[in-house]
Amino acid sequence: MSYPSRGAPRRTTSTSLAVFAVATLLAACSSSPGTTSPQTASIQPSTSAGDPETSATESAAALPEPSGTVSLYTSATQDTVDAVLAAYADVAPDVSVEVFRAPTGELDARIAAEVREGQIGGDVLWGTDPLSVQSYASQDLLEAWTPPEAASVPAQYQTDTFWGTRLLNMVIVHGVDMDDPPTDWEDLTAAALADGVAIPDPGFAGSAFAVLGYFASNPDFGIEYYQRLSDNGATQVQAVAEVLTGVAEGRFNAGMTLDKSARDAIAQGSPIEIAWPASGAITIYSPVGVFAAAQNMDNGKHFANFLLTPEGQAAIASTGWQPVRDDVDGPPIDGDQVSPEWSEIFESQEELLDEYRAIFGG
Amino acid sequence: MADAAGRVGVGRGLALLAAVLSFVVLIAWPLTRLAIEAAGAGTAPVLAALQPEAMEAIGNSLWIAAAVTGLAVAGGLGLALLTEHAAVPGRTIMIVGILFPLLVPDFVSALGWTRAFGPAGLFDRIAGVEIPGLYGPVGIVLVQATGAIPLAYLLIVAGMRSRAEPDLERAARISGADGLTALRTVSLPLLWPVIAAAGGLIFATTMNAFGTPAVLGRPAGFATMTTRIYGDLAFSSSEAAFERVLGLSFLLVAVVLLALAFSDRLGPRIATRGTITGPGLEARPAGRLPLAMAWVFVVLSVVLPLGALLLTALTRAVGLPPLPEHLTLANFGRAVDSRTLPALLNSLLLAGFAAVACVTLGTVAAIAPIGRWRQRWSQVVTIGFAVPGSVLAVGVLLAFGRSLRDTLLIILLAYVAKLWALAQRPIAGAMDRVPIDLSHAARVHGADGRTVLRTVVMPILAPTLAAAGLLVFVFALHEVTISILLYGPSSATLAVAIINLQQLGDPTVTTALAVLLTLLVLACAVPLVALRRSWLHSVLG
Repeated sequence: MSYPSRGAPRRTTSTSLAVFAVATLLAACSSSPGTTSPQTASIQPSTSAGDPETSATESAAALPEPSGTVSLYTSATQDTVDAVLAAYADVAPDVSVEVFRAPTGELDARIAAEVREGQIGGDVLWGTDPLSVQSYASQDLLEAWTPPEAASVPAQYQTDTFWGTRLLNMVIVHGVDMDDPPTDWEDLTAAALADGVAIPDPGFAGSAFAVLGYFASNPDFGIEYYQRLSDNGATQVQAVAEVLTGVAEGRFNAGMTLDKSARDAIAQGSPIEIAWPASGAITIYSPVGVFAAAQNMDNGKHFANFLLTPEGQAAIASTGWQPVRDDVDGPPIDGDQVSPEWSEIFESQEELLDEYRAIFGG
Repeated sequence: MADAAGRVGVGRGLALLAAVLSFVVLIAWPLTRLAIEAAGAGTAPVLAALQPEAMEAIGNSLWIAAAVTGLAVAGGLGLALLTEHAAVPGRTIMIVGILFPLLVPDFVSALGWTRAFGPAGLFDRIAGVEIPGLYGPVGIVLVQATGAIPLAYLLIVAGMRSRAEPDLERAARISGADGLTALRTVSLPLLWPVIAAAGGLIFATTMNAFGTPAVLGRPAGFATMTTRIYGDLAFSSSEAAFERVLGLSFLLVAVVLLALAFSDRLGPRIATRGTITGPGLEARPAGRLPLAMAWVFVVLSVVLPLGALLLTALTRAVGLPPLPEHLTLANFGRAVDSRTLPALLNSLLLAGFAAVACVTLGTVAAIAPIGRWRQRWSQVVTIGFAVPGSVLAVGVLLAFGRSLRDTLLIILLAYVAKLWALAQRPIAGAMDRVPIDLSHAARVHGADGRTVLRTVVMPILAPTLAAAGLLVFVFALHEVTISILLYGPSSATLAVAIINLQQLGDPTVTTALAVLLTLLVLACAVPLVALRRSWLHSVLG
């Protein structure tokens, strides 16, 4: 070693740096008691989980005028969250909404970590697809209740613990200059589109997984549909939006993407068109629920219910998503809508992904 | 004298204590929390990590990282020798060109390459040429290697300035060695610790990289460890998926540490103690071929991808050709909203504190340990760097979430745990170059400790400390995997703003934000570099 073996410079640097570092560390340690005694705090008792007063029988009554805070965990797109918060401020001006917004994967990772740590920080969960939300319901992390507005939500888009707020439609998108554009899902496997189709990766995007579930569980298609796509040279890309970008740039001729994103891009001037599949767009509902351990249970329910009111639905629709209520105006729906049997594909997520990966890799 | 020696011992002891404590709190504790979660599952995580699919991903990650490290170190070393040892016309422009990609956030670098060289990209439009296999392993290696060359270049140049031994090189030349022999027998062995440090960091960074493999690898069905970990993390409320995440993550750490331990043993063991005395070697004119290659590299890897990014940011909608009628500045307006400024301030604050903390910790830990532990410290703190950011964030949330949830401090703790090694390895590599003779000479001439520090030690360490701080700052500013899991209502970072924009699906807006961010860092960096240069000149003459 070649560091000087004696002399003041080292003493000066090392002691002053050490003192600084120790002071920093002590500050960090003293402000984090949880690090030394993780067992001292327990899960915050829920004010209403199991409380008969808020059980389903009475919850149709009007909820109390809210004030205070509510914490929203969501994977809805930022523009939609902004529109909803602006509308909610008119209804509940005394409530301050704290938002944690992240893509579904990150949101799920955070919630899973918080469950393991002992305390979920959010009151309301507003997800993108029913499968990820279903996994919380099956762990009894969601409150069972009935929002006053639930009656206006179509039956296929609700459960005991979560309710659809908006509908995401997986459609076909293709370049404007295409001669003989695809009109249905099977066209994506035709020779005319060899090496020209992009699909989103179900391992990354919840909506893409729902589509995988739909095709795999539908006898007209089956998992073989993906094999035919692959045989035809279809390419998987990471995100739904990347399909759109790739088609717009001319890297692909056509692909599967969400109607709202495609309409937004068309409005900006992107050279693409939507083809509503003749056998139906695959429709995914974006659910809202309230955590059973919510610290602001009443506000949480008030906010969740607001998403189902005509005002909340209008705010959602204003950002281009189809509202779940059919009495609220939304974007043009140019054909049939089909959905997988959600509970069925929830049970078989891992096997479906394995079968898919055997075809497309990753 | 005995008293002084005793105080030296105390100082070193305190430094050691600080380094060990920091490691325990910042890195060991969060990872232990993760391990506790995994322990309940018994051997399941280990088995999950050894499944055939996982093994394929491990193999992919390994050879990609090895290829990227080899290319980047060779490229960085070649460019460093060119700009430091030869007279290069337009040297400043070349250096700026080489270093510039460091300032470009890596969440758009793959986009820049695909838009420059991919199907329907800039090069395709101009010359009808695209890089075959850009989507796939070839592209992953190319994009990551060119992204890592500036990193290697920066560390090696900083090391050269700390470690230059013009007297030894001159002696070799006088004794009849030609340039190549002097390089092989004198300069490279002297530089080895720096090269190993740079290579180790690049290897660990590449093993950890997620964005580029995800964007370029998916279309080829090409999985790496990080893409598999991310995929499972998204399902991590499922025990089985969480176990796979932990099993693969710990395996990733083990692989990185093994590889680093191996690479650190590759080099020659030398303990020369030259002093920086005489003037630097006369710069010889650069050869035409190296010069041409360097400029081609700058144009292909910097100018074209960045040009493509800039055009993307200026285009009205994705897919429109960059013709004048389609150009607009509107994307910049859409990229910046009322949340961007607070997020930017948070990120700047976090990056600044992280840089100071990591350089401080790196210096403390490089001073403190004695003997073989000086090298081993670099390995030990690399554990934090080797864990994928999102998994580290989960560990930090488990460890500190109860009391620090939603604060800037919890993000800072995660950043320092992650980026400590980024400062530690270069500083440890430069530390053994502080020449004992010079400080002795200064002491003999009556300089007190402070003066020796200011006039002898700091000028030698300064380039490396500055480079390490800059790296930590830029990495912290550009990270997108840690803070997205840890932020709260008042601690949103740039990563949050970036991911929000990305999810809206319009790359023109995301790219506009990346361009703004690059310009901002550039605006901060230019006066710093100018300042440092004049200061260095005044010190080194």
